[in-house]
Amino acid sequence: MPIARIQTFTLLGVDAFDVTIEVDVAQGLPSFSVVGLPDAAVRESRERVRSAVKNSDFDFPDRRIVASLAPADLRKAGPGFDLGIAAGLLVSSGQLPEDALRSCAMAAELALDGSVRAVPGAIAMAERAGELGIEKIVVARDSAAEAAMPAALGAHRCKVVPLDHLRDLTYLGTTGEPCHSPQDLEPDDSALMLGVDLEELRGQPTLRRALEAVAAGAHGMLILGPPGAGKSLAARRLPTIMPPLEDPEAMEVLRIASACGQNGWHGRGRGPHRAHRPFRAPHHTISPAGLVGGGTPPRPGEVTLAHRGVLFLDELGEFSRNSLEALRQPLEDGEVTISRVRHSVRLPSRFVLIAASNPCPCGHGEDSPKCNCSALAAQRYRNRISGALADRIDISLSIEQPSSEALAGEPGEPSAVVRERVVRARQAAMARQGCANADLGPAALRLHVPLSKEARRELTSGHTKLGLSGRGHDRVRRVARTLADLGGREEVSAEDIDGALAFRRRSAK
Amino acid sequence: MRRSGAKPSPGEETARVSAPAATSGWRIFRGEEGWPQSLTELPAVDEAEPQVLFGSGARDLLTEFDPDRTVTIVGSRRSGSYGREVARELGFGAASAGLLVVSGMALGCDSAAHEGALDANGATIAVLGGPADVPYPRSKEPLYRRILASGGAVISEQPSGTETHPSFFPARNRIMAALAGWVVIVEGAHRSGTQHTVKQAAKLGREVLAVPGPVNSSLSELPNELLSEGAPVVRDAQDLLDHVLGPGQTQVRGVGPELESELLAALIAVEGGAGTCDAVAMQLDLDGNAAAVALARLELMGYVAGSAVGRYSRTQLTPPLP
Repeated sequence: MPIARIQTFTLLGVDAFDVTIEVDVAQGLPSFSVVGLPDAAVRESRERVRSAVKNSDFDFPDRRIVASLAPADLRKAGPGFDLGIAAGLLVSSGQLPEDALRSCAMAAELALDGSVRAVPGAIAMAERAGELGIEKIVVARDSAAEAAMPAALGAHRCKVVPLDHLRDLTYLGTTGEPCHSPQDLEPDDSALMLGVDLEELRGQPTLRRALEAVAAGAHGMLILGPPGAGKSLAARRLPTIMPPLEDPEAMEVLRIASACGQNGWHGRGRGPHRAHRPFRAPHHTISPAGLVGGGTPPRPGEVTLAHRGVLFLDELGEFSRNSLEALRQPLEDGEVTISRVRHSVRLPSRFVLIAASNPCPCGHGEDSPKCNCSALAAQRYRNRISGALADRIDISLSIEQPSSEALAGEPGEPSAVVRERVVRARQAAMARQGCANADLGPAALRLHVPLSKEARRELTSGHTKLGLSGRGHDRVRRVARTLADLGGREEVSAEDIDGALAFRRRSAK
Repeated sequence: MRRSGAKPSPGEETARVSAPAATSGWRIFRGEEGWPQSLTELPAVDEAEPQVLFGSGARDLLTEFDPDRTVTIVGSRRSGSYGREVARELGFGAASAGLLVVSGMALGCDSAAHEGALDANGATIAVLGGPADVPYPRSKEPLYRRILASGGAVISEQPSGTETHPSFFPARNRIMAALAGWVVIVEGAHRSGTQHTVKQAAKLGREVLAVPGPVNSSLSELPNELLSEGAPVVRDAQDLLDHVLGPGQTQVRGVGPELESELLAALIAVEGGAGTCDAVAMQLDLDGNAAAVALARLELMGYVAGSAVGRYSRTQLTPPLP
């Protein structure tokens, strides 16, 4: 009996790692064992494989079967090895020709009746298969569209074989082999995908201007305002005015969604051929690990799910200090590194941070006579936003409940119109410096933010009269750059500086 | 956790906090030369005159003390930005005119009054409930250091090492009431420490002035009641100085740079209660950007100030007459 070798993958974070399944069917007392640090789901795959093989017109050999997952020291998780183990077993017991599985990778779960189920991470796995130069990857039909995406973007040519049932393995390597033809990515239309539009935000002109600047410059924003003022409503509509995802970005988004099992491959209709900027709004009771990722094996957190999109922290003052501190690395580096004993995982996390908060614990705001918060409590509430978080918040504004006239009045400008202006501003920024304005470092600021004479005077007087710190100074320049881009100006004017000063974060006295 | 573990013993706390202040610690006994004469009036109203005052910082502030050029500014601990801003401005105005500002370094109005005085490079005395070498409340340690560093003084009846006790605060209030010739109430509710200070001051015949407040706020109960009973009204530092130094003796209201018509309109809108860009934009029918620019310019010129939550309010600066 030959030893069968099947290439397959396990997910670590959002990346696929190579795992080789070796199956040996040998003389001896009938038994079936899986070795190589399997987790519970992998160990249970024995039962699924046994039933699936029996129910697919194959024989389950009454011999000593050993399936080994190499490398032996990497912990394997999930049900994605079922198909590989079953295929290896069939080859090793002589029920499938050995060369049918040559240069072929597999990733799918088996049902007891032999039908094939999708597993998370098909995009990452197909990508890795392509890198390895493997000719074809066998997946469930439900994840075929995902697996075909790397090929659709022209990354490489790895053929995708969709499988409905285990018995269809006999078609492999024959002329009847099924094939999934790759489709092109459809353009990003976040407004359509999220089902919301900025026109639903009525009144609030300052908030609208701030949203536009955030979308164009990818700045972090803090919105202070009483409950019901429209903070969440506005944040939820931000993805719809951000520039459409470029194809590689869309790929990253889909890849993460795929690894987290969010692409709707259980027949929920939302095919993976259209990505949109994600919007994530974790509840304030979230743990640090839930926010930035963690666990064994490491799972992506909310910051990774928000990659290329918006992370919205509502009720910022209620988040635990630990959770907010955990945001430091993703905010500074655009990725999270989770280190474990044997390996470390890097999870991408480039997102736009929107934080919202009541002005004080009671929500009325210290300026209001109705507020009965002690000065200390209000101060403590504001102090939550400090350190790394504060450094990334370029725009801060205070809003009020919109007036009844505004609420009853005309709908605001729709997302599509605002998005056009945003795209123009972002294009100008990219053409000038190759990154969004929020990512301009101190040196780049000097180079790319030319100030007019009046603007320079205005900034100097902000420095002396308003006590701007060095970093506050940089933030004002970044935001002013974005305001100038939105206005189509190459040189930053005094009005832009004034507008940015009005958006600055004020330190508590 | 054991009770004694939770609370540092008084000795420990003193040793840790007061190391820099210990060098400048001093005391003055009743009847000694330099003892503030205004305190000797206390027995006449059945209050105990302190036997000794312990102090840190500038001793001559107390020994060369002139009650006629001293104001006590007190208010609620839980005051909002209104009370704090007014207290700060009164402290600033009084100190700029050369008056000595006395307060209790408590959270809220008291601290704001001290800060105002310090911002004007003026002299200020903090009267503490607990010992003078321990900043209380602890969160005001930066202010405590600042008072001492800028030539102010911190005084108390309690000797170093005493553990702060709630009964010290009413006793402290009688000293604050007695020291100065004028007592200004910024904010205060009924049955508060501020009310206690007012009672003591009234008994001693000190003139009590009050800052009007919104009628629907419990913190305005005391000042508004005082006003209805005929207390002089303090709307700004100018009112206070007119009382203390005589009408028109000192001018605090600054005159700012000239304003273009749009800026003047925005300033009037803020005066009328428009606190945000949106409100100003709506009132003046401007687009949001123009309103933001106008407010930022006014802030740069010093005509308006933004609060920590980003709402704008009017400052003391007045525009030049056309």
